[in-house]
Amino acid sequence: MKIFKQLFIILSINLAGDLISRYLHLPLPGPITGMLLLLVLLLTGVLKERQIRDTADFMLQNMGFFFIPAGVSVMISYQALKGFYLESFLVVLISTILVMSATALTTQLFINLNEKKNGKHN
Amino acid sequence: MENITNTHLFGILLTVGLFYLITLAKHRSRQNWLNPLLLSVIIIICILILADIPYEHYMEGGSVIHSFLGPVTVVLALPLYRQRKLLALHKYSIMGGIIAGVASAILSVIGLSRIFGLNEMLERSLVPHSVTTPIGISVSNMLKATQGITIISIIITGIIGASIAPLLLKFLRIKHPVAKGLSIGASSHAVGTTKAIEMGETEAAMSSLAIGVAALTTVLVVIIMQVMGWY
Repeated sequence: MKIFKQLFIILSINLAGDLISRYLHLPLPGPITGMLLLLVLLLTGVLKERQIRDTADFMLQNMGFFFIPAGVSVMISYQALKGFYLESFLVVLISTILVMSATALTTQLFINLNEKKNGKHN
Repeated sequence: MENITNTHLFGILLTVGLFYLITLAKHRSRQNWLNPLLLSVIIIICILILADIPYEHYMEGGSVIHSFLGPVTVVLALPLYRQRKLLALHKYSIMGGIIAGVASAILSVIGLSRIFGLNEMLERSLVPHSVTTPIGISVSNMLKATQGITIISIIITGIIGASIAPLLLKFLRIKHPVAKGLSIGASSHAVGTTKAIEMGETEAAMSSLAIGVAALTTVLVVIIMQVMGWY
């Protein structure tokens, strides 16, 4: 029964997110509005973590399963990739290196600045 | 054959069965690089082509599983909620790092795609490659791109990120665990996070926090780009 109750809560938040996005004409996709809504409900204590924990953790731990059909849909859209397999891979490879480097270097810079500032106070 | 495959049950059974078998094989063999999602997708496509089963038949059941993407996106709020104290503690470093990461992700895909001569559809599909899959699919829809290509690029990004993280971070002399974890999660989402978990507790927590923060920041940036008419 617990799983059904938790699933019901999660689906209701999903529906609320969809309705909010649609009727307020938000540029935010419904599920993401739902995610922000759940975050607000948890932070304000309206909803307790234990009220969704088991079902949510099952979904989070097995997230890949739910994307399999969307992944299979590549077989009807692979024409866009034709002749650009290597180039697309290189774009993803180089971009991933750049994102990781930019995030790591910027974060380290901020941390060092912060530590220096705190050091002066002591 | 037609009678068996043209039902809801066929797609669901095939997907559940494969995902179960591959996950089992992954745990038994302790091969962490095995990606049940990528392998399931490849095997299903092979089965459909080899057995000459129409894509539409698979999607009868596939669309039932696909309709759970909404709730799966909603529950991404939970890891974010669990790491809220860490987020508050390092808010400026996280904000700075994530903004740099998201900006470099979007700009590098657009720039590199034009250098390599990719068509516009492909370029748009690759933009959310560093974003966690459910939100990556949302971004792909917002950009009117192709979901299938976006998903494959997201999985490949995860595998690349997990493989290069130790070497790249060493080369860049990144020593702080917060910077290590944040950069892994922001660039290669949940798949990269498996590597961050091996590095340590702070790395793991920062990486899983970065997944949600980077994804939401990407959505925000894409909305701004679209509202301003830049993309």
